[in-house]
Amino acid sequence: MRNYVLKRILLFIPTLIIISFVIFFIIQLPPGDYVTSYVAAMSAEGEVFTAEDIAHLRAQFGLDDSWVVQYINWIKDIVLHGDFGYSFEYGRDVWSVIMDRLYLTLAVSFIILVFQYAVSLPIGIYCANHQYSAGDYIWSFFGFIGTATPNFLLAIIIMYYIYVKTGNVYLGLFSTEMLQNGMRWEYVPEFLGRCAIPLIVIGTSGTCGIIRTVRAQMLDEQARQYTLTARAKGCSEATITYKYCLRAALNPVVSGMAGSLRTIFSGSTVSAIVMNLAIQGPVLLTALKSQDMYLAGTIVLIQAVLVLVGTLLSDIALAWLDPRIRFSERG
Amino acid sequence: MEKTNDVILSIKDLKVNIRIDEGTLTAVRGVDFDIRRGETLGLVGESGCGKSLTSKAILGINDKKCKAEGEINFDADDLGWVNLLSLNPRGKEIRSVRGKQISMIFQEPMVAFSPMYTIGNQINEATLLHITKDKKKAKEISLGVMKKVGIANAEKRYDQYPHEFSGGMLQRALIAMALVCNPKLLIADEPTTALDVTIQAQILELMKELQKDFGMSILFITHDLGTVARMCDRVAVMYLGRIVETAPATEIYKNPQHPYTQGLIGSVHKIGTKAQERLFSIEGTVPLALNLPAGCGFYERCHRRIEGVCNVYDPQLVDVGGGHQIACFACTGCPNAGKEENA
Amino acid sequence: MAFFKKKTAKDESYYLASQWVLMWRKLQKHKLAQFSLSLLLVLYLGALFADFIAPYGLEEFSSLYKNTAPTKIYWEDENGDFSRPYVYKLKKVNDKKTWSVIITEDTSEKYYIDLFVEGGEYKLLGLIPSNLHLYGLVNEAGEVDRSVRVNIFGADSTGACIFSRILFGARVSLTIPFVSAAISFVLGILLGGISGYFGGMVDNIIQRIIEVLSAIPSIPLWMALSAAIPPGISVSAMYLYITIILSFIGWTGLARVVRGKFIALRKEDFVMAAKLAGVSDFKIIIKHLVPGFLSYLIVNLTLGIPGSILGETSMSYLGLGMKAPATSWGVLLKETEDLVSVAQCPWKMIPLVFVIITVLAYNFLGDGLRDAADPYK
Repeated sequence: MRNYVLKRILLFIPTLIIISFVIFFIIQLPPGDYVTSYVAAMSAEGEVFTAEDIAHLRAQFGLDDSWVVQYINWIKDIVLHGDFGYSFEYGRDVWSVIMDRLYLTLAVSFIILVFQYAVSLPIGIYCANHQYSAGDYIWSFFGFIGTATPNFLLAIIIMYYIYVKTGNVYLGLFSTEMLQNGMRWEYVPEFLGRCAIPLIVIGTSGTCGIIRTVRAQMLDEQARQYTLTARAKGCSEATITYKYCLRAALNPVVSGMAGSLRTIFSGSTVSAIVMNLAIQGPVLLTALKSQDMYLAGTIVLIQAVLVLVGTLLSDIALAWLDPRIRFSERG
Repeated sequence: MEKTNDVILSIKDLKVNIRIDEGTLTAVRGVDFDIRRGETLGLVGESGCGKSLTSKAILGINDKKCKAEGEINFDADDLGWVNLLSLNPRGKEIRSVRGKQISMIFQEPMVAFSPMYTIGNQINEATLLHITKDKKKAKEISLGVMKKVGIANAEKRYDQYPHEFSGGMLQRALIAMALVCNPKLLIADEPTTALDVTIQAQILELMKELQKDFGMSILFITHDLGTVARMCDRVAVMYLGRIVETAPATEIYKNPQHPYTQGLIGSVHKIGTKAQERLFSIEGTVPLALNLPAGCGFYERCHRRIEGVCNVYDPQLVDVGGGHQIACFACTGCPNAGKEENA
Repeated sequence: MAFFKKKTAKDESYYLASQWVLMWRKLQKHKLAQFSLSLLLVLYLGALFADFIAPYGLEEFSSLYKNTAPTKIYWEDENGDFSRPYVYKLKKVNDKKTWSVIITEDTSEKYYIDLFVEGGEYKLLGLIPSNLHLYGLVNEAGEVDRSVRVNIFGADSTGACIFSRILFGARVSLTIPFVSAAISFVLGILLGGISGYFGGMVDNIIQRIIEVLSAIPSIPLWMALSAAIPPGISVSAMYLYITIILSFIGWTGLARVVRGKFIALRKEDFVMAAKLAGVSDFKIIIKHLVPGFLSYLIVNLTLGIPGSILGETSMSYLGLGMKAPATSWGVLLKETEDLVSVAQCPWKMIPLVFVIITVLAYNFLGDGLRDAADPYK
């Protein structure tokens, strides 16, 4: 088991290098660079730039080098100085821009992840144990609708509904009073209410997906011979469901954990723009559009690394859960 | 039915219906047999004849789609002479019978264990359920049985996972799990089909020995008449959800009566047959037990069929003496000879 | 006797039927999948004949109809008797109290809905020139009047008919996922196959690439990639780019599955037999391995299409996908960007219904295929 974990961690490093390279390559793909888009934006407002000004700006931002050199410099600074580069748009360190929103982003993502599994596991098990019952059909229906509706539109529908019901528009996680006065106890209920909307919006599609996986897996496992053996042994139905079927059914659920983190990042990006959440999605979009490449690159890199760490953790969990994997890796 | 001295299990008119898309399929169509203390009854038939469904019906572990009717009376320890079908299939009472008084070993040992837990854990589960809650004692008992079924190095094997076992070893482990509570009846559902021939012989030997030691009855289900000859005291031949012939094992080999039984025995290769002689094979395939026509189920494939009788009436088991019963008009004569058909 | 002979012949055909026949038979039993399949057929036919079914072309909009609700269709005349369906034209009225312009129905004249009415010119299937449309308006004299419009799903912010735009948008929204799925399919089989069949170094490299691509969250990746689409390119080139971007991610999952299957199948005896018989690697892959799990791949593919549809919607919505004047369902839904427009013009959500229906239909079809793919179950 220890060897397996070590091996996985070692493999993590080359993957990380490739991933940072791929991300940087994609980020610099758009024609032009930040200076081009900056000059275009400024010219539209009446500023005049000479060719010299532009060349000067380029040199100042280090944009004259080829992108491979830029990449190497970027990585060198990250590894040696913990410096993720400079955000042209914000005029300060990328890291400080990211730190503004990092905790909230992580908190929102983590809460959604926990919420997804806390809700979908019991429902999935229920649906499998009561296949073709009314409950099963109702949940399956919700599950399908949930996966079929684009996140951001769900956000609009819910916000519209709340608007019609209460006359209030809940945009963002904090109200203006909260921002002015800081967090106080009396704001907690409202804050939780505001959290519920993104939770539902971003979490729904993933939740529905997991319900369907759990249900299908449980049904698969229930049809296996070993449940018959256990039943013939005199085990109770609860033992069969939880000790035998669930343990085996968790396998794909656990391996899908990193995938759901990825979906959450994707979903939160678009939804955050719609709902005006102070998380990283909207920052990324503007950074991409204005070619603020170090900022965009760092955000995508952080998300990718988190997903990779998630994959690593879920693989380790999988090896712990399933003895067959443990042994095949050892042998 | 009244309990007669040494009968421990008595099945009366057992029917198993399966719900499928096309309707209801009656896979077991009225089966009767008794099992006496310490005896081995062989239940023989082709695949799909309903022998596995019958055996699972005894434990009430058939699929949800299956519905069993009739009577399965069993001499249970705490419940007395009880119809197992009347018990709630998920209830406590039937669970105190399963594994403890009647246990079962399956055809494919490789899939009969959960890959997620050690063999020891899975064997010990039965011990903990039925014998003692004391974990130390339970492990001792489980290890004892593992040694008894011939698992060498049992202490080490106890903590190993199913994928580290060979097929033969797994079958031994499965037998250990079935015997750990010293059951009255062991149902063996084709226990050697998935194994190599040499291992088959070992497992059969083992079962015979263990039967002597533990004194249990065995319901031995197989499609292989060769193993039946080795293992069983009595044989019941099943065809299309019915028992067509039942007799002591020696009798069935010496004097098979039903054309189907004759066919089965004819299709077994015997030492001493001439090389040129072809093995007998039964023509056709088993019809689907859905919308069955009236009459004998074997009619279509039978070389001794009597038109106007076999495809009109349903043959019942008729005693021909010496514990030999046959359900065949060609063997025992027509039921309503001389009478006009009314139906 | 004859009765039984017949039955055996039928049984025989059942036992000998090919995998595909069995799959089709099983699929026919899956009512929901059957229904979904017909629904998808209807949607695709609608997209194919959009020029004919849609009353108005993409360029036909009328500022009078900006953001107007679905046109009211009347079935009763003034006396309450049943009449041919008709509508009224719209007129601008100055509200004396608020000094604002409001748009109301001008009930002075009736315009009847008629079938096969002349309208804008188009080429049916790109071949047959025509100007007939499935339905349109005629005035009481029976003449076509193109200034009055019937927008059954209302109008958008340019005053174009949403129903027409949905039909034209379907051409993009329904084919992009299909084409990108096809690209993913080829890439997935090819790379997954190579990875699984040859193993070793090649396998390792491909595995790393897959791992990398599937670690990057898809929407940021799409956003980054589509930011790279050069501005001012033609609609068809944009279409191509977006298709490629969407298939960029789809193939990794498929490749993983294919690789797993190959590794399992590689060890089978029949592959060894083929190798010993001197069959080339490529031929073994195509003739012996791929058919073994093709049905499974098709299922995977069907279930992957909804993801692309939703992806296209998100991209267009963020302004990174198709852009006007091109139309897709995502572009249409961009009009529902903010609460105000949804609150004022809820009919702009109608394209969402089409998105949901399509995604559901593909999901159900995929589920049905999955059940059917295992005909021996």
